[in-house]
Order: sequence, then C-alpha cells, then structure tokens
Amino acid sequence: MSLAAIKIENLSYSIPGKTILDNVSLSLAANQFSVILGRNGSGKSTLFNLITGKYPYSSGVVELLGKERSSIPQKSLAKTIGFLPQFHQSVFPFSVYDVILTGRAAFYRFGPSGRDHEIVEQTLLNMGISHLKDKSYTDLSGGERQLVLISRVMAQGPDILVLDEPTNHLDLHFQVLVLDKLKLYSRSGHTVICIMHDPNMASIYADHTYFIKDQKAYDSSLLIAEDPFANIYEALYEMPLMQVQVKDKTIIIPQF
Amino acid sequence: MKTPYFSITTMRSLLINTIIYGLPIPVIIISLLIGSSDNIGLAAFWDWIRSLVDSSHPSPVLVENVIFNIRLPRALMTFLVGAALATAGGVLQAIFRNPLVDPYILGISSGAAFGASLAILVPLLSIHISAFVFGAAAVSLTYVFGYTKNSSSITIILAGMIVSGLFSASLALVQYLSDPFKLQAIIQWTMGSLHLSSWHKVQQSWIPISLGLLGLYFIRWKLNLLSLGDDEARAVGVNPTYIKIIAVLLATIVTAVAVASAGIISLYGLFVPHITRMLVGASNTKTTPANIFFGGTFLLIIDNFCRTVFPYEIPIGIFTMIIGAPFFIFLIKKRKINWS
Repeated sequence: MSLAAIKIENLSYSIPGKTILDNVSLSLAANQFSVILGRNGSGKSTLFNLITGKYPYSSGVVELLGKERSSIPQKSLAKTIGFLPQFHQSVFPFSVYDVILTGRAAFYRFGPSGRDHEIVEQTLLNMGISHLKDKSYTDLSGGERQLVLISRVMAQGPDILVLDEPTNHLDLHFQVLVLDKLKLYSRSGHTVICIMHDPNMASIYADHTYFIKDQKAYDSSLLIAEDPFANIYEALYEMPLMQVQVKDKTIIIPQF
Repeated sequence: MKTPYFSITTMRSLLINTIIYGLPIPVIIISLLIGSSDNIGLAAFWDWIRSLVDSSHPSPVLVENVIFNIRLPRALMTFLVGAALATAGGVLQAIFRNPLVDPYILGISSGAAFGASLAILVPLLSIHISAFVFGAAAVSLTYVFGYTKNSSSITIILAGMIVSGLFSASLALVQYLSDPFKLQAIIQWTMGSLHLSSWHKVQQSWIPISLGLLGLYFIRWKLNLLSLGDDEARAVGVNPTYIKIIAVLLATIVTAVAVASAGIISLYGLFVPHITRMLVGASNTKTTPANIFFGGTFLLIIDNFCRTVFPYEIPIGIFTMIIGAPFFIFLIKKRKINWS
C-alpha cells in the first residue's frame, strides 16, 4: 500500500455508558478513493467527526499526511483536509457562486482575491454547474445542492476530502454524477474518503473498502485474504445476502 | 454576447444602487426643511446656505437656530440610529442563521435600556458603557439559554423573549427605586425619543457607531460563511468562534449606543435587512453596506412622518412596531424550514 493519507492508531471513543469505537487502527491510502461502510449507529459518523476534528479524542492517534491532527495549525488545516457534513439547510437564498466562494474563506483575510474568483469559476466548470452560478441555492434540487456543496469544498483544494454520506437522498442520476466527480478528484492527486450506505456503489467506485462493525474497523481486502469464500457483507449487515458477479465487481442483493 | 435580460438586470441594479446610496443626502436635506415651525422652508433654507457660503449675506438667526441646532442634529442622530439597528439586525440574522431575530428580539435593546437606566440611578459607569455591558450580557444569556444542540429558530426567539422580559422587569425595578427627579429622566429616555437629539448626543454616539459599522463592513465577506453554519465553516478550515464573537460584539456596541441615544426602537432591525435583501440579494457583502445606508435613510423617512403627519409628534418606536409586528407574523407564517 502507498503512503497513508490518514493513519489512525488505537483510537477509542466513548460516551457515558457506551463505547462507540474501541481501539481502532486504520490506514487510509493517499490519492485513492476509499469508502467506509457500516450499519446505522455503528460509529461511522463518530469516526468522521474524530477525523475532521469536531470531536476531541483522548486516547489514540489520528495523523493526516504524517502529522498529528491536533498539531496542524489552523492555517494549513484548510489546505490539508476539507469535509462535507451530512445535512445542510441554508436559511438565506445565497447565489450558488456566493456559496462556493465561501470555500475560499480560509485563504483570505477580509475579501477574496482575483485568484479566489478564478478558482471558483474553474471549479464551476470542472463540476459542470456553470449554468447554476447565479441561481439561488435555496431553489436548487437536492442533487444540485449536493454538487454545489461538494464544489465548495473542492474550491478549497484540500489534499484530503472526507464526505459523510454524500449520495444520501440523491436519485441514481445524481449519485453517479457525484461519485464520478469525486473519483475524478481522487485521480488528480487528492485523497477522497466517503462514508456510504450502498455497498454496490462502493464496490463500483472505491479503490479500497473499509468496514466498521462492533466498535472496530476492518480493511475489507484483509478480510477477503483471510477467508476468500466468506460473504463478508453478510457479516457486516447481519443478514443473508446473494452475490452476483458483474464484470470484475461483486454486487450484493438481499435474498428474495 | 449580452442578452436583453442582462441589460434589464443591470438597469435594475443601477436603479437600486441609486436608491440606496443616492437617497441619504436628499432625504437629510428634506428633513431640514420640514417640521413644526412651518415658516422655515426651502426659501429660508436657501437663505441660510447663502449665509454660510457668503459671509456678507446676513445670517438668519431663527432659521439657523431651528435648522442647525434642532433639525440637523436630529437628522444625523436618526440616520446613525437607523444605520446601527438595521446593520446590527442583518449581522445578527446571519450569525444566528435566523431571519426572525434582531437586536430587540435577542434582548440586546432591553439589556441596554436597563444598563442605561441603571447608570442614571447609580452613576458608576457612563450611560453608553453601561448600556453596552448589559446589552452584551443580554445577548450572551439569550445565546446560552437558546442554544442547544438541536435548537431551532424558535428556541432562540423564546430565549430572547425571556431575557428581554428579565431586563424589562429589572428596568421597572430601577424605576421603582428611583427618586422622582431621576425617574423622570429615565422614563423620558426609555420612551425612545429622537426629539431629544442634540449636538451633544451626536458627538457622544457618532464615533462608536461609525467604528462599529466600519468593523462590520470589514468582516462582511466572512458573514456569508458564518450564515451557512458552524460545521460548514469548519469544513473549509475556518474556526467560526472568534469571528462570531467579534461580529456579535460589534453589533452589540452599535445597538447599545443607539439605544442609549434614542431609547428602544422596536423591530426596526428585523424588517430593514429583509427589505435590503429583496433589493440587493442575500449576500452579506452587499446587504451590509446597504443596511448602513438604507437603514439610516429609511428611519429618517419614518421619523419625518412621525414629526409631520399628526399635529403632535408620535414616538418613533410606536411606528416601527406597527410596521414590524405584521412583518414578523408574515415571516413566521412563510417560514417552513428549520422550524421544529
């Protein structure tokens, strides 16, 4: 495996009366598209919040590109990691352009420079949403909004991009569009890490898949190496599943 | 290639900018020409201007007294207060991510009013400082009471009402404890009156209000980021805490000074930001300067009505409440998101 973008060692997290993550160690490869799967309430979002720094951690290590997370100064943090939280509601009808421009906020003191505007225009172009530029963000469909929010984090240009269920609530068209754009981002020298619910989308898009189950994290390729004939998804989702081979990918469906 | 649609939007924005930035001076001049002394109109004004420019022209003493010592300070004071309340309202709506708040609803006005009356009763601090201290205490309390993990726009408003009630009660207590002489000063002052404007009051308030507004103008770019939410700010590498504190402090300073100079003017900071948002769009980079200029001008227009429509003057707080209350109800009815 190549250099780790995120390296987690012996990370534990608990709330009163409940251990959510227990001594987790995980290494997420740089410049790859990695997906984290797990059942509802398995601690995926907690892991997301620990990586992104929303939750402080008392035991264990989280390293971003070889540096301890808490030791990275606020200024270079924006360049290192960007993330997309799960839900977002905007109260004010900002234009799409204004929303994406806020992605550059860490890099200017008072107002954005010409370079910031150039980057926003370029991001709009790359994401194929230039036509939405002057539209009001609150008038967009859910799928368009998600593209705008992803553009916003991409305009920031972080080395590592972490997303919490980016395809949630999106129709198939937008799911594919969003994942295509994220894959593209990972192919241009960036690391993309997605928390997802759809194991099939994961196996179609991901370079690496990780599982979270019973407060622990697992690398799916190691699980397969251990027991090539086991249906690892049945263990993950705790239900009987059928497997179908399409091209070189394994697609799983519930039994019927 | 420019489509006709483009040129219409350009013309529209030109017109709107003219209204927002071109109107203040003419409105201030009109404010100097109208009032209870009917005989001081355009001709007298022209006389006065000539006497200023040309020293050989005789200075009309009565006219000068009315225009320069009564109407001009009042017009300037009104403009400053309007600009302060509207801008503070717009900034607070952005920070609290809530289009239903303003300095009055968050309790800043009541806190500042209590602080100012306390300073009249027990002159330990100056009225302005005391107004600021208690205004800041009020908004902090509202934030602490109203901000929980899943708080909605309504919880903040309820918290603001409680805090507002708390300080209104304390204000009543201060009045109860005051001797008749001080009581009169406090009551006259809390009624919210611009007719007591004087050069002295303008001198006291223009520096803190201008500096506060300038500060808010400088952080206007960050306000868009803050109004997307804390997580969204952290997501792109910005810690929202400091900039939020700075913004709320500046909004509290300008509000406290406005309240200390003109009493409580209710709901003005609520509806003006909505009007400017309709005119220039939602981006705080445009609404902040628009709130400063349009906020000042519009309060001046309302005050001119208060002075001239009826034979006796109506306190301006009554007028802004009459406009603001239905507006608030309308916003509550319209608002569907971020509710539960």
